[in-house]
Amino acid sequence: MFRLFDRDVAFPLSGALLQFLVLVGGGLLYTAAVGGSAENLVTAMLIDAVMVVGLQIYIGNTGVLSFGHIGFGAIAGYAFAVLAIDPARKGTVIRNAPWGLDEVQLSPLLAAVVAVGVAVVIAVFIGLGLARSGAQSGAVSATVITLALLFVTHELAINWTDLTGGDRAGLSFSIGDTLQSRWPIYAVLLGALVLARLFAQSRSGRLAQAAREDDLAARAMGVNPQVQQMVALLFSVAIVATAACLRVYSVGNITPKFFFFDYTLLTLVMLIVGGRKGISGSLLGVVLITAGREITRRLGTTGYEFFGLGLDGTIANVVFREGLSDIFLGLAMLGFMILRPSGLLDDWEVDQWLFRRFGRGDDTRPEPLPETVNIEPGTLKATDLSVDFGGFRALTSASLDARSGEIVGLIGPNGAGKTTLVNVITGMVQPTEGHFGINDRDLTSAEPYVLARSGIVRTFQNLRLFSSLTVRENVEVAARVAEVHRADRVRPGVDALIAEAGLWEHRDRRASELDYGNSRRLELARAAAMSPQFLLLDEPTSGMSDAESDEMIEQVRHMAATIGAGVLVIDHDLNFITGISDRIYALDQGRIIAVGTPEEIQANPMVQSAYLGSAAPA
Amino acid sequence: MNQLIQNLVDGLGRGSIYALLALGIAVIFGVMHLVNFAHGELITVSGYLAYWMFISGVTWYLIAPAVVICAVIVSVIIEQVAFRWVRGAADFTLLLTSFGVHFVVEALFLMYVSASVKSFNRPGWIANTFSVGSVSVEIFDMVVILVTLLVLGLTALILQRTMFGLALRAAAEDFDTARLMGVKSDRVIRGAFMLSGLLAGIAGVFWLMRAGATSPGAGTTPMLKGVLAALIGGLGSLKGAVIGGFALGLAEVLLRSNLPGSVASLTDGVVFALIAVLFIFRPQGLITVSHAERV
Amino acid sequence: MLEIESLTTRYGSISALREVSMTVGSGEVIGLIGPNGAGKTTLLGSVAGLLKPASGVVRFEGDDETGSSPDQMLRRGVALVPEHRRIFTDMSVVENLKIGGVTIPAAERTGMMDEMVELFPVLKDKWTTSAGYLSGGEAQQLAIARALMSKPRLLMMDEPSLGLAPILIDVVFDLIVKLKEQGMTLLVVEQNATRMLGVSDRAYVLRSGALVAEGTGTDLLARDDLFDTFVGN
Repeated sequence: MFRLFDRDVAFPLSGALLQFLVLVGGGLLYTAAVGGSAENLVTAMLIDAVMVVGLQIYIGNTGVLSFGHIGFGAIAGYAFAVLAIDPARKGTVIRNAPWGLDEVQLSPLLAAVVAVGVAVVIAVFIGLGLARSGAQSGAVSATVITLALLFVTHELAINWTDLTGGDRAGLSFSIGDTLQSRWPIYAVLLGALVLARLFAQSRSGRLAQAAREDDLAARAMGVNPQVQQMVALLFSVAIVATAACLRVYSVGNITPKFFFFDYTLLTLVMLIVGGRKGISGSLLGVVLITAGREITRRLGTTGYEFFGLGLDGTIANVVFREGLSDIFLGLAMLGFMILRPSGLLDDWEVDQWLFRRFGRGDDTRPEPLPETVNIEPGTLKATDLSVDFGGFRALTSASLDARSGEIVGLIGPNGAGKTTLVNVITGMVQPTEGHFGINDRDLTSAEPYVLARSGIVRTFQNLRLFSSLTVRENVEVAARVAEVHRADRVRPGVDALIAEAGLWEHRDRRASELDYGNSRRLELARAAAMSPQFLLLDEPTSGMSDAESDEMIEQVRHMAATIGAGVLVIDHDLNFITGISDRIYALDQGRIIAVGTPEEIQANPMVQSAYLGSAAPA
Repeated sequence: MNQLIQNLVDGLGRGSIYALLALGIAVIFGVMHLVNFAHGELITVSGYLAYWMFISGVTWYLIAPAVVICAVIVSVIIEQVAFRWVRGAADFTLLLTSFGVHFVVEALFLMYVSASVKSFNRPGWIANTFSVGSVSVEIFDMVVILVTLLVLGLTALILQRTMFGLALRAAAEDFDTARLMGVKSDRVIRGAFMLSGLLAGIAGVFWLMRAGATSPGAGTTPMLKGVLAALIGGLGSLKGAVIGGFALGLAEVLLRSNLPGSVASLTDGVVFALIAVLFIFRPQGLITVSHAERV
Repeated sequence: MLEIESLTTRYGSISALREVSMTVGSGEVIGLIGPNGAGKTTLLGSVAGLLKPASGVVRFEGDDETGSSPDQMLRRGVALVPEHRRIFTDMSVVENLKIGGVTIPAAERTGMMDEMVELFPVLKDKWTTSAGYLSGGEAQQLAIARALMSKPRLLMMDEPSLGLAPILIDVVFDLIVKLKEQGMTLLVVEQNATRMLGVSDRAYVLRSGALVAEGTGTDLLARDDLFDTFVGN
């Protein structure tokens, strides 16, 4: 159904391979052109690339700005060094190592495995902490917690001299014991690229990206972002830790400074310059920053002789001096944040581009959806719901029910409490009093994502799409949640839903590029992909023209019939509401003032006065 | 008991400096939602001015006001050069922009001054103590605490009584509505950076007097302490920032004198770990800023 | 007094307001009605300077003020009471009033505050109370008083009766009448169409970002087709 094979596996795999070949091939060509002196530079670049890909898996997919990933690197780096350095050498620097570690010697491979394991175990705890703190895109608390990890490991590295050799000496391998061949780096790089690309297209990756784009909307689609963030964190840390082992092994030593602020800055700049949301962008950043640093470093040290340009004079002397490469790095970060915060390539991915060009030969428009496949009688029932906002009573003892297969309208002037009612039933606002549930199941204090998985799915008045994901990816997020949590129901296909909503031509466009009407239709399709038992629509025609509103009536009806859902719909547009609803509840001042068929409601004097604002009824 | 009193004075002295820094960070966070990781650069730059004045033979009585003025000017310059271009940007962008400024300034000093630490003499009275009973107290701590209380009082007065203070508070609560009242965004943001620079400058004088040296990375530690204190207090809250500053100062001193010997050198690490734990359980900091929920 | 010519305002790629033209004469009370999402708030925001129009002209007393900042508009004499009141809840009532008078000379502020107390006696008792503790009705009166502090000649209000109990809605409409009697020009967005049309000299009806009707209150009230927009019968 997701055509897993070509789009989500085969293309990402070929993309990862292509990226690998370009990076390694470029490095080899450069070495061939410049000579052996470039060997170390290229090796460092390849290791940095692994590191940045590791960062990308977490920061790129979840949007959580972690400053601590290099701290995981420090942990793994020290663990690797302590385990892999030969005891004779350890005897000179860390004679009193705890747990008899000075006697231990593991093969580099085994040492790396243990080191990565240690880092991942610590990551589990940090991840639990991040989840507890409610980490989400842009959350400062997450940045502080990870920054704390970086500083605590740094302090330990400096002070726990029995294990780390302290600030000055650090730990170093005997000469000749270091990494001699580049094959392990190649292998790890290819593995990291494959993992990162597959993760981005995987269920976990998609759900994490959805939460990155809009945490609340993701929860409303049944996503529990904390789980996906944890998965991303563990993969990410595993790769970062592996890269750290490689870095220590290839350089041959480690000191507290080795994995601290400077390296954090370097890798972060690499990540953001090309575009943190994609692997292609991240790798471009690695190449650009490596090249830029090398050029500025040479300009800084050899100054005006560089490139034989014979630059001379005061300005050249002022600009070309040592430290130029640090300035370059800082300015790169500053400049990109100011001018292009999403990076050069943003989330562009080479394999997805290839897929759009060549992979879609048999992409025929799907068949229309058959009507009603889920016949599952149920009643959504709310009893005496009241909500207080700091003294303001937004809802007073509101009771309503809706049956599956029924379309129930909810009307009332602005501020009447309609959205509050929907917010309560979707778990976004806790009621002060009252309860609600489906059939006999009470759902009153359930989390939004639990409610969504239980079959109550909503849309938002202010449109909350996953804006940088494509139309298809938006719908897929919901479908992939439904795949697991709504498995017992017959679920409509993603492509069919897209076609149904009239968005087939737009399926590979970003949600942010859609106009108002199409955005509304996408929100409806995305909600329907959850195969909900009850669909709550908050002003689905707001901002639409009359003709579009009329079309929407048909669309909502058909969508509801297809997935067998009951619908609760709020709208201001009485034409729309009366046209679509079987029954209508009217709210005013937080109370339900009338209920009945559209005709009854229209004839009701209380409703008319609430809308037209004549003297309020007693 | 005496030990405890001495620790309290010591902790409040440290805490005063942190409180001034944290308050400056909170003021800026209020108007533009920026956690300013470049706040320490005000101290770095002023530190070099202090060093240069010192080797030219200027007395501390002139160096101190010069440092404060320098911090105000640098604060405004940084706003004009960097932060004004990212107003209203995503939190991610704002955070990294301030880190960018931090790294660029540090690199500039590395490049054009020197990587080495530049030392100068601290004022003569700084190590003097006086005794109350059997408790001996550093004069410097008392000066810091008193000046800080005075400055905090004046700041409170500015925020409560002046039109600028009102505008700043209004902008911090609801920027758009403040604009709708006629508050000029440019002016209120520049004012916030001036106030923030002023507070950092005063903290910087104390910091430099005690450190007696500066280096390209000199601002990093005070910046981190200030950011942490502001975070502990709950970023949007000015009161919280001050409380956070004092709390951090006291916690450091008490930990340092009470941790067992082998761990004492890890005080900073322990403090950091404690803050991480605080954030895990109270991601909004100690004082939660609550605006009435809009329906 | 206020002339708007084919004003278009966009949020990203979405036009929230399309080619809207209207006029407000000196001393008039103009109603602006229409369903949610019709672009009413966008229109007021574009006049007040909070939003930058994509095209079109806003003229106030003959001068082109398109794209002026809120601060400039206030100094020209145009104030807006925003939707949901948006009073500063962390500040006291008197501080809210002071900030409302940020654009007038300090010397005139005290006098204006006295006038506001006269106009809104409820505020007097709450003078130093934090505005967060005001009731809905008090908060709405504070929001209007705060806007009046800038001595506007054109006062725009966005849904002043929103979320108020019926008796307080009366207070708001009485106030509109009172301000008109004092010579104020008003442009008011309201959901409460009948009440609004009852006090307006003229009104405009917006729908989906475009103007669909204009006329005097009585004319519009008599037009059944428009009321389908609201009641749908």
